[in-house]
Amino acid sequence: MDVQGLQMTQNTPTPGVFKRNPPIAGEAEAIEAAKNGDAEAFSKLYALHKRRVYTLCLRMLGNVSEAEDMTQEAFLHLFRKIGSFRGESAFSTWLHRLTVNLVLMHLRKKGLNLVSLEETINPSEDDAPKRDFGSRDLQLTGSVDRVALERAVASLPPGYRMVFVLHDVEGFEHNEIATMLECSTGNSKSQLHKARLKLRELLRQPEQSSQPAGFNEVAV
Amino acid sequence: MTDSNFPDFDTMTPADFEQYLPEFFANGDGHVSTDPRLQKFLKNNPDCAALVRDLEAIADQARSLFELTEQPSDAVWTGIQDKLRHPAPEDDDLSIPQTV
Repeated sequence: MDVQGLQMTQNTPTPGVFKRNPPIAGEAEAIEAAKNGDAEAFSKLYALHKRRVYTLCLRMLGNVSEAEDMTQEAFLHLFRKIGSFRGESAFSTWLHRLTVNLVLMHLRKKGLNLVSLEETINPSEDDAPKRDFGSRDLQLTGSVDRVALERAVASLPPGYRMVFVLHDVEGFEHNEIATMLECSTGNSKSQLHKARLKLRELLRQPEQSSQPAGFNEVAV
Repeated sequence: MTDSNFPDFDTMTPADFEQYLPEFFANGDGHVSTDPRLQKFLKNNPDCAALVRDLEAIADQARSLFELTEQPSDAVWTGIQDKLRHPAPEDDDLSIPQTV
């Protein structure tokens, strides 16, 4: 994937994502100063966005060490390319796209073929959501505990987790996800649905079985 | 996707509903339970309605995770500063801030 080609292209702002990334006080000035190489401005931009970028990496990767490495890479890329930011979309939206594309590149380098991966399209029997469509369970109806959901998301198979985080948490549209993951829009919709089914299944299980080994390291 | 791509809402079976559920969710505002075309079906198929409620609850709560963030360790910023001071050969195009 051409990271720069994707991450630096400022498409028409996506209403959902833009709405969730409103401008931050002092950010515009920091961006302009950073374009001129102002170190303090870089520091400020890092302080403003480090938590979002790191949490996004952590959710996508499920690993603290890799998430920190990718956070570092994302900000290094940001500092290199900030001159190409034209302000056509929210800065944080632009930064999130950059981060997502870096993480996807990283995963591909590791050999994870994302949505086209067999494991993702055809996850193992254990990973695939069960077809218990007809069984009613009132445990979830009405509310889902946020912490429990975060734990369940962390235990999703990587492909499911990726699409779920990008769509339901980050607010990307299916066509955007399809472009980033190099898959069809239909595939993105299908993966999201399977991810939600799997989460429903995980959330209905007793606490201990929805908590993966080493969860403390990946919980956010 | 238009209605012509969907099965007949009056004769739809639970299996049909399951097959088209990803599209139902992807259309409109993502809330299948309020889709007027599906009200009769959901009323007659409580298990399907329960599934929809669960999936909507998951999707709704997922949005709140966006605000739940974690702090990276100080090592990340230290690493960024180091890399800016000592760029690798492949980082030649790096715009180095003056005093980082």
